[in-house]
Amino acid sequence: MIELAPIFVTLKLATVTTLILLLIGTPIAWWLSSTRSQFKVIIESVVALPLVLPPTVLGFYLLLALSPNGFIGGLWAYVSDTPLSFSFTGLVIGSVIYSMPFVVQPLQASFEMVGKPVQQAAYTLGANSFDTFKNIIIPLSRRGFLVAITLGFAHTVGEFGVVLMIGGNIPEVTQVLSIVIYDHVEVLEYTQAHYYSIGLLIFSFVVLFITYSFNRKLMVRI
Amino acid sequence: MIRVSYKKQLSDFLLDVDFTMPDTGITVLFGPSGSGKTSVLNLIAGLDTTGPDEESNHFQNTSNFILNNNIIDDSNKKIKLKPWLRNIAYVFQDHRLFPHLTVKDNILFGYKRRNCELDPQDLIETFKIKTLLTHTPAELSGGQKQRVAMVRALLSQPQLLILDEPLAALDYPSRQELLPYIEQVHKELAIPVIYVSHDIKEVLRLADYIVVMDKGKIIDQGDIANLCISQPLLTQQEGASFILEGRVSEIIEEDKLVKIDCGEDILITAENMPLEQNVRILIHARDVSLCLTPPVDSSILNCIAVIIEELQTDKNAKLRVLAKLGDQTIVAVISHRSAKSLNVVKGQKMYAQFKATALIK
Repeated sequence: MIELAPIFVTLKLATVTTLILLLIGTPIAWWLSSTRSQFKVIIESVVALPLVLPPTVLGFYLLLALSPNGFIGGLWAYVSDTPLSFSFTGLVIGSVIYSMPFVVQPLQASFEMVGKPVQQAAYTLGANSFDTFKNIIIPLSRRGFLVAITLGFAHTVGEFGVVLMIGGNIPEVTQVLSIVIYDHVEVLEYTQAHYYSIGLLIFSFVVLFITYSFNRKLMVRI
Repeated sequence: MIRVSYKKQLSDFLLDVDFTMPDTGITVLFGPSGSGKTSVLNLIAGLDTTGPDEESNHFQNTSNFILNNNIIDDSNKKIKLKPWLRNIAYVFQDHRLFPHLTVKDNILFGYKRRNCELDPQDLIETFKIKTLLTHTPAELSGGQKQRVAMVRALLSQPQLLILDEPLAALDYPSRQELLPYIEQVHKELAIPVIYVSHDIKEVLRLADYIVVMDKGKIIDQGDIANLCISQPLLTQQEGASFILEGRVSEIIEEDKLVKIDCGEDILITAENMPLEQNVRILIHARDVSLCLTPPVDSSILNCIAVIIEELQTDKNAKLRVLAKLGDQTIVAVISHRSAKSLNVVKGQKMYAQFKATALIK
């Protein structure tokens, strides 16, 4: 039988993560695309770390940080009186960090492509930096946003290692699709594993297909 | 009065400029590429992007830029207005229209953000862009893009308009098409214009005042008429040249000539020149000869009465004679021997002869 709860948990996690990533990833990408600061390379590297680190490494340190004895987990427990590890919130924190490069990098690239020239033109016409960002940079970066949202969302859906390390496997709370598949395979329930796997495969393909065909339509001719 | 003074260490040279330009008309910033013209423009517009390595030299960078009694930049008072607060519009070499907006939204971008009293309709008509309003920039030709960029800049009602080689990226026909619009701007709107160019034809045609730059320094500045006489370099001709301004008073079609009234009538080879058009004529001093009486039976068409004003010895040991035609100056280069035999002295009335030269505009 197919359970619906893991699907809901997965979609909820991906949606919340993507929204949070847009909120914090956009300013980070903007800063990275426009700064001449010497810290740029450091921040760039930190953001890109999840691309190269094994999810277990990231998961391990997140587990330490989120546990009631850890820095973040302890603070959280002090404020809210609930543990952060093995909770949905903890999962969101882990996913945000893990999917960060998939949102920041396309945004940064598209901000860089829009470039200084039109920005300067907007300045000389009386638009301040926020006005310029809102009315020139963002509309001209909409393809970057589309790619960032898709990759952020899809990558969170496909996440496994970090979730396993910090989320546990609590049905209806932190149990996501990739874990359910793993569980079924472990007890040799291949039929169930197939249902979920083929579902994820088709879902991922459709999302990417829609995004990339839409992406072409959004292209702004210069 | 507009005072511009900047000292700034650039990556390859020290930019050190200080000039005062009139608050009407077109001031041309002229110089070879790489002489720092665009750096000056970016400092004026507040777009200068100082890198960290340049910043380390900041102690020797100074600025003082006053526009219509407002301090825009002043390193002593630690004032540096943001570009969007300067009210200085900029037409770039590459049009820089916003690709995601229609022509209409492009030209209204600055208009909406500043309390502009100009009527967009007037400028739309002047620049003949009415039929383009619903198009996007990608659908326009190079010349059309620059016209839209000009309207966009003007509709932000700037106190100063910067034109950075607006014709450079265009082909010859588009340049010829755009030039009259630029002339119209400074006739119809009382906005001072800084025009950057390294094309001497454009300079001679448009400039009222000129600032000549080389390697980050100003090597000369002044009214265009005076500067042509003192700066042979400018016209890329050996020896001095001068400019006469006048108005087309008659068209002699069968001889392909036009008569220009510069105080006296001058005949010039030209076609397709409308009557009453204001024109400038560039004449090389070595093409001008002087005589005491108006010659008869000469093949040379132009012979005008002038009053000798000044005699200068130039570096080739020739004598440079400056003479007045009304309030305009003409220049002739003659030998000392001719000067002696003709007994040329200051205040004397003489006749200047020269051939029908070509027009600048």
